[in-house]
Amino acid sequence: MTERIYLFPLWLRLWHWANALLILVLGVTGISLHFAGPDMYLVDFSLAVRIHNVAGLALAALYGFFVIANAVSGNWWQYVPKSPGVLQRCWTQTRFYLWGVFKGEHEPFPMTREANFNALQAIIYWLVMYLLLPITIVSGLIYLNPQWAPARMFGLDGLLPVALLHYLSAAVILMFAISHVYLGTMGARPTSTHKTMITGWHEAE
Amino acid sequence: MPERMFSVAQSGWLAVCLWLLLGGSTLAAAFNPTPEALEKNRQANLKCLACHSEAALRQPPKVDLDLKKLRGLIVDPAAFAASSHARLACGKCHTEGYAEHPHAEDAKDMTSTCDDCHSKQARVIEAEFEQSVHADNLTEPMTCLTCHNPHRMQAAKNLKQPDLIVAQDNRVCLGCHDSDATFAQYAPEKKTRPLTDDAHAWLPNARMHWKSVRCVECHTPSNPNTQSHQILSKDKAVKDCVACHSRDSLLSARLYRHLAEEDQRKYGFINSAILGKPYVVGATRNPLLDGIVIALVVLTLVGMLAHGLVRYLAARLRRRKQHD
Ligand code: HEC
Ligand code: HEC
Ligand code: HEC
Ligand code: HEC
Ligand code: HEC
Ligand code: HEC
Ligand code: HEC
Ligand code: HEM
Repeated sequence: MTERIYLFPLWLRLWHWANALLILVLGVTGISLHFAGPDMYLVDFSLAVRIHNVAGLALAALYGFFVIANAVSGNWWQYVPKSPGVLQRCWTQTRFYLWGVFKGEHEPFPMTREANFNALQAIIYWLVMYLLLPITIVSGLIYLNPQWAPARMFGLDGLLPVALLHYLSAAVILMFAISHVYLGTMGARPTSTHKTMITGWHEAE
Repeated sequence: MPERMFSVAQSGWLAVCLWLLLGGSTLAAAFNPTPEALEKNRQANLKCLACHSEAALRQPPKVDLDLKKLRGLIVDPAAFAASSHARLACGKCHTEGYAEHPHAEDAKDMTSTCDDCHSKQARVIEAEFEQSVHADNLTEPMTCLTCHNPHRMQAAKNLKQPDLIVAQDNRVCLGCHDSDATFAQYAPEKKTRPLTDDAHAWLPNARMHWKSVRCVECHTPSNPNTQSHQILSKDKAVKDCVACHSRDSLLSARLYRHLAEEDQRKYGFINSAILGKPYVVGATRNPLLDGIVIALVVLTLVGMLAHGLVRYLAARLRRRKQHD
């Protein structure tokens, strides 16, 4: 028998999947914009602009919700790696991904109600949610209103740093998203953590 | 006419010979005055500007000047000094009858026209203009002067900065297309001005586009040598975003063409694609940066797939061992 614990409240799950959907849409349309040309078969430029702008604004609003809901519910505490031994635990976790998992070892820090992220997850999720995503969103908002960007910067077009920041931070977020989906298969069974994010119930091994 | 050494016909022939000598190069290249001649032009121009400038309106150099009339005949000295004709004497174009004031009655008729001096270019431009939407139908025909003020005009290749070129060139078109009064003055009877914003509603943020891109980019056919003067009918205008927002952006052959050489010198070939010009989504791409980004994304994907595969194989191996 497996033990079941209720980990994720409804608001968090709804937020999570809305966030995932928007990032997927923004990623596909963003790629269509950056690599626009006659040989771009993803989304037509004009349509991509319209979708990207709407989805971008939606993501910005959703992010505002995320920050407030996290603060109010106390969920933000999950993103703080707990001393002592953070580095040691990160290393143990990394070693598990690189070696232990192939030998069938068990997850070194299984999810609990108190700590649903391991130390490595907490650090990376914190960086993505509180550093990278805000960079993408703020640069996107400036991009949407180019008059907010400085006219010139270091003798270059003022939009250049904004656009580059947006492009590069978006690229890192997409790389994170890919690995995030994959690491989600590391639960008790390959599908179990994805189920957890849908039902809120976690099956402990 | 003491300052003129040749008759009009003679100087015409001289100019032709000079062009042939210089392999048919442009007039600007052939125009090579000595520093002394330049200084002489400058001094002569100051005499005209003594009356034809704002300063003169405030402090008239002569008592009996018709200031009301003069107010409409001002030449901005700073703009003239920055213009493509800065090195010319006023008298080079205002050839006769202006040396003294009051000016001669028929002085105006003696003013040189663009094709007097730019005959080769003007022939091409006139042929292009003949086919322009502005060539027929207008109640008041357009001339070169409708769009070009010889006292202010700066050649795009000297301006170089795209935002300056765009501001100068769009002011010309919008002067009519944003003004009911001016449009009506030229338009065929009963034709009302099509609203510029409505005509470009398909273009997101059209007014923002017009700060960074010219009307002529979309409304003229491309011409590798000069800016075409053939304004096409509206159904032939560029409507495809990707014409500009892509790696082979038409802008690099048009608006940005004067930047290319200088940028490559300043930033190197790879970086000039991204550093020199305004940032345009889809068009501004650095091959090195894109290569790195694509490689990292592919690496992430392949890494995850490989990890998954090894995990799967290892698990099967373990299960088989347990069975044995
Ligand atoms: C003493 C003042 C004065 C000087 C010097 C002067 N102008 Fe004028 N100019 C005027 C005034 C006043 C008018 C307005 C019409 C008139 O009174 O003839 C005028 C008119 C003109 C016009 C418009 C003529 C028309 O029929 O529309 C031109 C072109 C012109 N001047 C060019 C020149 C040039 C070129 C010089 C220098 C070689 C020059 N002016 C020197 C006072 C001057
Ligand atoms: C490249 C030729 C050229 C040069 C150089 C030039 N002009 Fe003109 N100017 C013209 C033409 C063409 C007109 C328009 C005549 C017409 O409208 O019929 C004109 C018109 C004028 C007028 C009448 C008002 C107006 O703006 O239409 C004045 C005054 C004038 N010029 C003064 C000057 C002065 C002063 C200088 C020297 C600082 C000068 N111009 C240099 C070509 C020139
Ligand atoms: C009296 C002769 C003369 C007349 C008339 C004249 N120009 Fe010019 N133009 C010149 C000369 C000479 C130069 C080169 C100036 C220099 O290099 O300093 C020049 C330069 C230019 C340039 C810059 C081209 C380049 O390659 O740098 C443009 C554009 C231009 N003229 C347009 C016009 C237009 C439009 C008219 C008619 C309104 C006109 N010009 C009338 C003599 C003339
Ligand atoms: C409907 C407005 C309009 C008319 C009419 C017009 N031009 Fe232009 N012209 C422009 C614009 C806009 C440009 C683009 C500015 C540039 O590239 O420097 C231009 C550019 C030029 C240039 C610079 C070309 C180059 O490649 O750098 C010359 C020279 C010129 N025009 C001469 C003329 C002459 C001569 C006439 C009359 C036969 C004329 N223009 C009539 C709008 C006009
Ligand atoms: C002096 C006024 C004036 C200027 C300057 C001017 N236009 Fe026009 N334009 C008109 C008028 C008047 C019409 C209407 C002509 C007609 O209906 O036959 C027109 C028509 C047009 C059309 C419509 C053609 C169609 O198929 O219906 C286009 C496009 C156009 N202009 C573009 C431009 C561009 C680009 C420039 C700048 C290089 C420019 N115009 C400068 C007056 C002007
Ligand atoms: C990005 C390309 C682009 C730019 C830049 C652009 N146009 Fe257009 N313009 C078009 C297209 C495409 C049409 C035809 C639209 C249609 O038929 O739906 C058009 C239509 C027009 C018309 C015809 C309106 C009518 O209904 O008769 C005028 C006039 C015009 N443009 C003037 C301008 C002027 C002036 C500017 C510069 C301020 C400008 N355009 C800039 C692409 C452009
Ligand atoms: C004639 C060339 C041209 C065409 C055609 C064109 N654009 Fe643009 N576009 C530009 C330029 C230039 C910029 C401004 C870059 C800057 O200076 O910030 C720009 C900026 C933009 C921006 C703002 C982002 C940025 O790069 O600053 C959007 C969004 C955009 N265009 C969408 C479109 C869409 C959608 C279409 C087709 C319906 C289109 N454009 C057609 C030249 C063009
Ligand atoms: C994770 C989410 C996002 C991804 C993956 C993403 C990706 C991209 C990419 C790759 C580009 C092309 C960049 C270039 O070539 O310079 C782009 C452009 C743009 N992005 Fe985003 N983006 C995201 C979020 C946002 C947000 C939140 C906003 C605004 C609130 C936004 C607004 C824009 C704008 C305005 C442009 C310029 C083109 C346009 O107007 O549509 N983006 N994005």
